[in-house]
Amino acid sequence: MGDRYLVEPDLDFVKDVIGRGGDSLKKCFQCATCAVVCPISPDKKPFPRKEMIAASWGLKEKLVHNVDIWLCHECGDCSTSCPRDAKPGDVLSAVRSLAISDYATPKFIANAVNDPQKLPLLLGVPAIIFAVLAFLTMYCGGMMETIFDSIFGFTGFHWSHGTQSDVTSHSDFVSTWFVDMVFVPLAFLAVLVFAQGLVRFVNDIHANAVAEGKTDKEEFEIAGFFQALVRVIPVILKHDKFSECSENKDRATAHLMVLFGFIGLFIVTSIFFVVMYGFGIHGPYQQLNPVKWLANIAGISLVIGGALMIKNRLTKENQTSSYKDWYLLGLVFGLGATGMLTEMTRLAGSAFLAYFFYYLHLILIFNLFAFLPFSKMAHFVYRTVAMAYAEYANR
Amino acid sequence: MDKKYGVYICTGCGIGESVDVEKLSEIPEEEGISCKSHPCFCGNEGLELIKKDVADGTNTISIVGCSRRVNFDIFKFDGCIVDRVNIREQGVWSHPRSKYPAPTEEQKDDEEFIDQVQMLADDYLKMSIAKLEKVDIPEPFKLDAISKKILVIGGGITGISAALDAVKAGYDVTIVEKEAQIGGYAAKLRKQMPVEDPYENLIPLQINAKINEVEAYSNITVKTNTIVARIAGQPGEFTVTMKKPGDKIEFDVPYPLPEEMKVDENGKELDVEKLAEVYKEYNSGKTDILTLDPDGELFGAVILAAGWRPDTLEGDTYAHLGYGEIPDVVTNSQFEEIAAAGKIKRPSDGKEAESVVFIQSPGKGEDDSDFNYCGSVTSMVSLKQARYVREDYIDGKAYVVYQHMRTPGLQENFYKSMQQDEGVFLTKGEVMSVSKNGSGLIVDVDNTLLGEQISIKADMVVLAAGMVPATMDDPVINLAYRQGPGFRDNDLFDQYADSNFICFPYETQRTGIYAAGCIRRSMTIEESMEDATGAALKAIQCIESVNRGVSVHPRSGDMTFPDFFFQRCTQCKRCTEECPFGALDDDEKGTPLLNPTRCRRCGTCMGACPERIIGFADYNIDSVGSMVKAVGVPSEDDFDEPPFRILGLVCENDAYPALDIAGLNRLELNAQVRFIPVRCLGSVNVIWIKDALAQGMDGAFLLGCKHGDDYQCHFVKGSELADIRMKKIGDALTSLALEEERVTQFEVAIDEYDKLPGMINDFVEMVEALGPNPFKGF
Repeated sequence: MGDRYLVEPDLDFVKDVIGRGGDSLKKCFQCATCAVVCPISPDKKPFPRKEMIAASWGLKEKLVHNVDIWLCHECGDCSTSCPRDAKPGDVLSAVRSLAISDYATPKFIANAVNDPQKLPLLLGVPAIIFAVLAFLTMYCGGMMETIFDSIFGFTGFHWSHGTQSDVTSHSDFVSTWFVDMVFVPLAFLAVLVFAQGLVRFVNDIHANAVAEGKTDKEEFEIAGFFQALVRVIPVILKHDKFSECSENKDRATAHLMVLFGFIGLFIVTSIFFVVMYGFGIHGPYQQLNPVKWLANIAGISLVIGGALMIKNRLTKENQTSSYKDWYLLGLVFGLGATGMLTEMTRLAGSAFLAYFFYYLHLILIFNLFAFLPFSKMAHFVYRTVAMAYAEYANR
Repeated sequence: MDKKYGVYICTGCGIGESVDVEKLSEIPEEEGISCKSHPCFCGNEGLELIKKDVADGTNTISIVGCSRRVNFDIFKFDGCIVDRVNIREQGVWSHPRSKYPAPTEEQKDDEEFIDQVQMLADDYLKMSIAKLEKVDIPEPFKLDAISKKILVIGGGITGISAALDAVKAGYDVTIVEKEAQIGGYAAKLRKQMPVEDPYENLIPLQINAKINEVEAYSNITVKTNTIVARIAGQPGEFTVTMKKPGDKIEFDVPYPLPEEMKVDENGKELDVEKLAEVYKEYNSGKTDILTLDPDGELFGAVILAAGWRPDTLEGDTYAHLGYGEIPDVVTNSQFEEIAAAGKIKRPSDGKEAESVVFIQSPGKGEDDSDFNYCGSVTSMVSLKQARYVREDYIDGKAYVVYQHMRTPGLQENFYKSMQQDEGVFLTKGEVMSVSKNGSGLIVDVDNTLLGEQISIKADMVVLAAGMVPATMDDPVINLAYRQGPGFRDNDLFDQYADSNFICFPYETQRTGIYAAGCIRRSMTIEESMEDATGAALKAIQCIESVNRGVSVHPRSGDMTFPDFFFQRCTQCKRCTEECPFGALDDDEKGTPLLNPTRCRRCGTCMGACPERIIGFADYNIDSVGSMVKAVGVPSEDDFDEPPFRILGLVCENDAYPALDIAGLNRLELNAQVRFIPVRCLGSVNVIWIKDALAQGMDGAFLLGCKHGDDYQCHFVKGSELADIRMKKIGDALTSLALEEERVTQFEVAIDEYDKLPGMINDFVEMVEALGPNPFKGF
């Protein structure tokens, strides 16, 4: 048979694509209007026409291992122009969701993240964990202090961070130690999951690009790839690719706000972390502190960006929004909203409300960290790597 | 008939401004014919003028003005012969005064001044008067007794539908079906493609309801286990002999001698008597075509709905597909049989066929053509059968590999709906091979939409074999016609029963026989039912036209028919052989016998006859010949530089309208040409050309329809025959020391009016270069 590609359609994959918002995929009749109108598709072997037939034939590997699905920014130009209403943009979005699930381990978490019936579980687990931790912090402080000192006494750290008794501090509700004991390992776990996924991912997209003639690079060189990554970062930060879309310009703005919101909050959290463990200075910071400015701006940016995204999804008629989209948008907006509300109620002096929103905030952060490699949120890693690969491979 | 002539010259539409009507009126007046002019004869006032004359006894009328193709319903006077002289479209509109100036006051008396437009108008009027002298009012041909019964050959969905349509319109019908029951292929399916809105899903078979409907009508006679042994006679009185399939009876139709039997062992043609002897021997036991079966049943018209058979796909072209070699490679009709019997199982081992590849085009060749005798129906059948696979197996996979996916009209909805099934996979592609792979099959396909060379695993492969018309294997209609029992020239149509698919659907090359359904092209059940209605209406039109003694089509309503002057017939049989519709039989001596209701009035016989003994009441050798002779041919006696004269014989079906459209668009034509409309180029007798050249005209051309494989001739063979005759005339011209280029034939389609000026004017220039006809002035 030589170089022939043995076609083995995976019916379950077709059903999965349909289930994740690609229910229009079978309408495609391969006219290639999508590949023509797409502003960011390359001239050689353009997408998404070929992805559409691969999806309707259930050729999982041709899609999951395909760098092109990540080059798409789901602007919707293709879906608007499609004469059959096959919505290539939504199909690719569903395919990406499946790709994320495919590269993430363990699978049951990936499935749970994409299953609305598992949402109570996803929220319930952190709710219980933090309820227990809050109970320990608030009612067993003395006991915890004893235990802490007997184990970590030599380091000079103290159990309690609540030094200013006149200020409402979240660490009086759930100890910062507890918070970091949960999230630091979670963050490392997420990085691990990503790492093992990315190794496979990079190998797969390279093999696929070579097999389908989408690259002139035969061997994958890690150094060249990283140089490409450096070149791509400004493109991502400036949303250059995103802005090329004509159909959906306002989405780029919303996305930009959310992205910078997250970056800002990441910086704030890192500073806070370093200052606390390095210099022993605890929060909450004064509002005049520049770090606080950044935190507030980033938080507002996240709330507004998230709200805009939700509005866009609700008003856009020829775009299908499925559970995976709403889960992420809910998370993004919820994170910003609960964060800001926590701060505002704290400043207003209502300890009960402040703790309540902080509790919700912690549940959502748990969702963000724990399910990062499994949810649609993982796109920030895969798309970045894919764009870097495309840059490297002269795609 | 005592002719009282009247000439009416219209001065409207720019004629009066261009032509000197007073001078033109002198022509009829010199012959004592009354001549009137009016600015608008088609208006009430003008029309009243003519009607008054008609009331006073005028019965032979020449209306000088617009083309015969317009206002024909206005200039219609009972009991009168009306001729139209077209000096509008083909006169003043296409010969502007800017190009052919009118004489100035000083030039009016200048004998050397050539007023081209006036000469043209003069000639056309003279030609009209000459013609009117030679024509008569036609009298219809009426049969003594007419049968209005309709015979339907074939009891499938088409035949049944046609029978129902005809019976509902009030006509008695007999269906003959060769099998033991009616229903045909439509009764052997698992499911049927949709026939009504929303055209999305497969539907249960409709045929049983139709059969029940047929049984409810007492005036539909169904004869199963029956075929047609012979159809003799002509529309309105077809004498039909029926028999059981396989029987040999005396009224089996005799066949014409094959070519190899018409010569002796040395390859020399046999003489007439010997031929008759061989013919009798060849058809021994069969009664001659002219003897009517006394027990035969009379019918007025025939609907041919004999349908199709699945193509057998033999030969090397299909070797790479494994058909015949691998039992699990089947045709679509074999697959339908399997599907109708139950769950889809592999023929080789009875294993469930969960993965099936449907191949629409043989592939591996120079072109991307589908299987022979395919059509949109085979595309849709593949979608339907893909659905069967999905119905039978939850994890079933149906692949359709096509070069063309044809789903016309609202069947697009059907395609869309079948496409929605997640287990149906469609791609364009070129199939390279089908081979065994363990107990299954593997199909290799190139150039797919998936972007590369692919292989597909399959349990079964289904080939979209075409639907071969029944007329491929057998004449079916078994006509007792001298030209033979089947349709002649059917090779042109790959044996489909057809004559001109686009222009004249249902009409075959035999008047009174109307084809419907898959004998005409591959069709779905829905299309077949619609087709049946068309053929039924045609059959009824035929019967009612015959009843009134007029032609059916394409010259619908024409009352004339060819008239033979038998005293001068030399029994050369040309008319019998050349008639495109087999209207003429001949007796043992070879004398032609006309069957007027088979005739379409094209005049091909008239063009063929070397003795010029065939003519129509209003169109004959003499009428056209007189028109040719009426053309004024100026010689050096008249002018120092006499203008040329060129004859254009123009087919009135497409070429004449195209000329009118050219005029309507004010395209300029050379004023030295004189046009004469002819019924068909097939009716052009070479004597007219000879007459034209003999009287000094410088050239002649025929303007008619395209001939050949994709001919546009309304009478199938007319323009082709004319072409052969014109090539022969070339030799005669050479012997007269005339250049053979002086006579030619042009092909033109009705929409090519813009090409006409170039065609005609170039020809005139070419003739001018040859110089004037040396016979001028004799």
